[in-house]
Amino acid sequence: MQQHQNRHRLPRVALAVLLALSLAGPARGQEAGIEIRSASTRLEEGVWYLAARIDYRLNRDTLEALQNGIPLTFDLRVELSRQRSWLPDEDVAELRQDFELSWQPLSRSYLVRNKNSGDQRAHTTLFAALNYLGVITALPLIDAALVEEGEEYEVRLRAALDQQELPGPLRMLAFWGDDFTLESDWFRWNLRTGEQR
Amino acid sequence: MIARDPRPARRYATLVLAGGAALLAIGALVLLGDYASSVADFGRRHVLILAVNAVAAVVLLAVILVNLFRLVRDYRRRVPGARLRARLVALFVGLTLVPLFVVYFFALQFVSGGIDSWFDSDLEQELSAALRLSRESLEVQATSRLSQTSALAAAIGNLDGEALSRALGVLRADANADELTVFAAGERVVASSSRLDALPPTLAEDALEELQRTQRFVALEPQGGARYQVRTAVQIPVELPAGAEAPRYLQAVFPVGYRQGRLADAVQDTYTRYAELRFLRGPLKDNLVATLSLVLLLSLLSAAAGAFYLARRLASPIESLAAGTEAVAKGDFDTRLPPGAADEVGFLIDSFNGMIERLARAREESRTSQQQLERERASLAAILGRLSTGVIATSADGRVRIANDAAGQILGVDFAARAGATLHEIASTGPLAREFIEACRSHLEGVHPDWRGQVELRTGKSRRILNCASSTLPGDPGDDTAAAGRTGGAIVVFDDVTELLVAQREAAWGEVARRLAHEIKNPLTPIRLAAERIRRRYLPALDADDGQVLDRSTHTIVQQVEAMRDMVNAFSEYARSPAVSIAPVDLGQLVREVAWLYRAQDGQPAVTLDVEDGLKVEADAVRVRQLLHNLIRNAQEALEGMPDGAVNVGARRVPGGEREFVEITVEDNGPGIGAEVLTSLFEPYVTSKKKGTGLGLAIVKKLVEEHGGTVAADNLPGKGARLTVTLPVQATVRDPLGETRPARAEPWRERA
Repeated sequence: MQQHQNRHRLPRVALAVLLALSLAGPARGQEAGIEIRSASTRLEEGVWYLAARIDYRLNRDTLEALQNGIPLTFDLRVELSRQRSWLPDEDVAELRQDFELSWQPLSRSYLVRNKNSGDQRAHTTLFAALNYLGVITALPLIDAALVEEGEEYEVRLRAALDQQELPGPLRMLAFWGDDFTLESDWFRWNLRTGEQR
Repeated sequence: MIARDPRPARRYATLVLAGGAALLAIGALVLLGDYASSVADFGRRHVLILAVNAVAAVVLLAVILVNLFRLVRDYRRRVPGARLRARLVALFVGLTLVPLFVVYFFALQFVSGGIDSWFDSDLEQELSAALRLSRESLEVQATSRLSQTSALAAAIGNLDGEALSRALGVLRADANADELTVFAAGERVVASSSRLDALPPTLAEDALEELQRTQRFVALEPQGGARYQVRTAVQIPVELPAGAEAPRYLQAVFPVGYRQGRLADAVQDTYTRYAELRFLRGPLKDNLVATLSLVLLLSLLSAAAGAFYLARRLASPIESLAAGTEAVAKGDFDTRLPPGAADEVGFLIDSFNGMIERLARAREESRTSQQQLERERASLAAILGRLSTGVIATSADGRVRIANDAAGQILGVDFAARAGATLHEIASTGPLAREFIEACRSHLEGVHPDWRGQVELRTGKSRRILNCASSTLPGDPGDDTAAAGRTGGAIVVFDDVTELLVAQREAAWGEVARRLAHEIKNPLTPIRLAAERIRRRYLPALDADDGQVLDRSTHTIVQQVEAMRDMVNAFSEYARSPAVSIAPVDLGQLVREVAWLYRAQDGQPAVTLDVEDGLKVEADAVRVRQLLHNLIRNAQEALEGMPDGAVNVGARRVPGGEREFVEITVEDNGPGIGAEVLTSLFEPYVTSKKKGTGLGLAIVKKLVEEHGGTVAADNLPGKGARLTVTLPVQATVRDPLGETRPARAEPWRERA
């Protein structure tokens, strides 16, 4: 399955179909962490695409690490499973996208790099970089032919800071404390109806 | 019995657990070594190693606690070897603890000092300066590119459509740009020319925002792989009519020279790595300290567990030695210790086992010889007990060591109740013993080496003659008496020959009597016949006077010859010994019959009876009858001339130990028996009377002894004498050596 992300193929209007259920409340913006604001799937030319809006807010320790040259890897995990009545759900597809955010002291920019595709883009501000990171417009999820008619499918999405990619000493800190723990809850919805679970 | 270690599985469990945990600790040390070279590699295994080490630490701690609990318990119960184990454990742990802590603290110092020494403020400033220099150098280039872009934008002006596209192509080639793009508001690309055959990238949101605000934008963008590009954007300076579309922008991308980019990237890399290391300094130190502490902890725990194991291993043979020694001290010679290792302790165990084996063998031999000795002693005691000869053995200090039953019977001393008594104590028990000890003291004390002789003991009314022999005993070789030249006591052997002597005397008298009877009786009849012939022939021829003389003389001769015949008959009676014929006899009836004969005679002392009914004895009735005659006659003769003389004859049953006896007493109220004849009353020709042959009581004694009985004489307290005959109810006969035996088994005949 193609795991390439293309931002230009789809018009901005596609965002209109994004579910914004989690946007209802006032922004809990100042609190550090990762929050999936919205996520949805749509069928286009025989392929199911994922769109999502994610808030990345760094805490003091991760920010300090980033500014001291330590790259942060964010791991986006998407899982698709077939719902079954009496049996455990069947995993159909699993997709993982890794993004690396790093500080470039020479150009004084924040570089976001998709580790799967190698695409990268520099941003002059951290805000712009995180914002760029948080907008997913069309991530190909699964070929429609692999999705059976009449079956219920659940999509799960989660974003998290990958502690495995931290340098050793920080991994021990991450193991013993919450300073380097940034992760969202699982965001679940129905593949066809888009109804959030 | 072989003592075995009952806990081999547990011992090995401790070893395996402690060994495994120690290996883990070594693994952690190796990991620590890798730490410096490969920071990232450490991180991947960190959690796993941490978890495994935690498990190892818990296992070691559990092993230690279990061992400690056991040690404390054993220590309190004073189990052999527990103190040694405790001391060894304390020693091992102490020996390990000190160097471990020294190494630990030095390692901490090195780690902390070493990591801090990596960072230098001068270096940091220099790196910052290098980075700034690189940046400024690139910024100069970027500024120049921005000016160039402005010029290109001015050149484009109002161009549109095909013309714009052509112009962009030419301008891009002239400016040596990678890309030139004209776009309108909303990121709508109007025209584009690119060296790469790719869609022109749009500006990032923040760049667009800056562009709209300041009509210009410039940024240095890393491309990866030490490549950089300068992105510029400016508003195309055109007069816009009212209502026209939003302003257009020209975006240009210029490559940065590869060499310059590589240099700048190297500077940035170094700077970034330095900043990263500086940032990670704290966590790195924490990690190292934690790892070192973990290693220390594991080493300590391993050392402690190892100390318990080693202590048990070292103390185990000593414990079994102690247990073995204790068992041997309690007399258990069957203990064998399990063989030890091929070291000094193993040698000790082998020696111990050998020693126990030899001890057991020696004890077995000693037990055997002691049993043999006991048997010898028992048989000796049996022999001594059976002997009629008295045996007394004394020790060097004058105490009686051995005295057999015969010695006790002869001397009238119960030696069994006086085991180990001194001679003085024995002497105080009775007159016979005193006489004997006085007579034999020097021999009993072992003064004379060898002695043989006869001792006569006189005590009141009895007299005993003992044939004695003595000899000194050799001293005990282990005793100091031998070293001092003294003997080990003496042994005195003695026989009571009183009765033997009496019997010999009686036998001699018997022989005399028989000869006398034979020699005297023969001429008596011719003498009497001759006297009677002389009287018959010459009496009628003689005158009255001569006749009277003759008559009186021949009468005297005949009378004296008759008297002599009576005497010879008495002698012959004493010497005669018909066969003893033992049969049940009603003694009461017999006594009454004999007594009646004497009661009937006139002028004789009255005979009274005191006879128990139903006295049955096994005896020769003829002999018992004669015995009674002799006794009553002897009493009557003693009372001759006394008008109020009276004889009392009694017969009764008396208890006599194992056997039953009857006692016949004949008492008179005569003058009694003189003290000078009392001891030899029953010997022939011993009498205190004017009448009689002096053989009456000797015959009585002989008859009584033929029945295995005894006869005794004593004076009554008031006046008179008493003769007492004791006969066994079940007859026994007595041989000349004084031994008695059942009468029926072998009829005994008096010697001729």
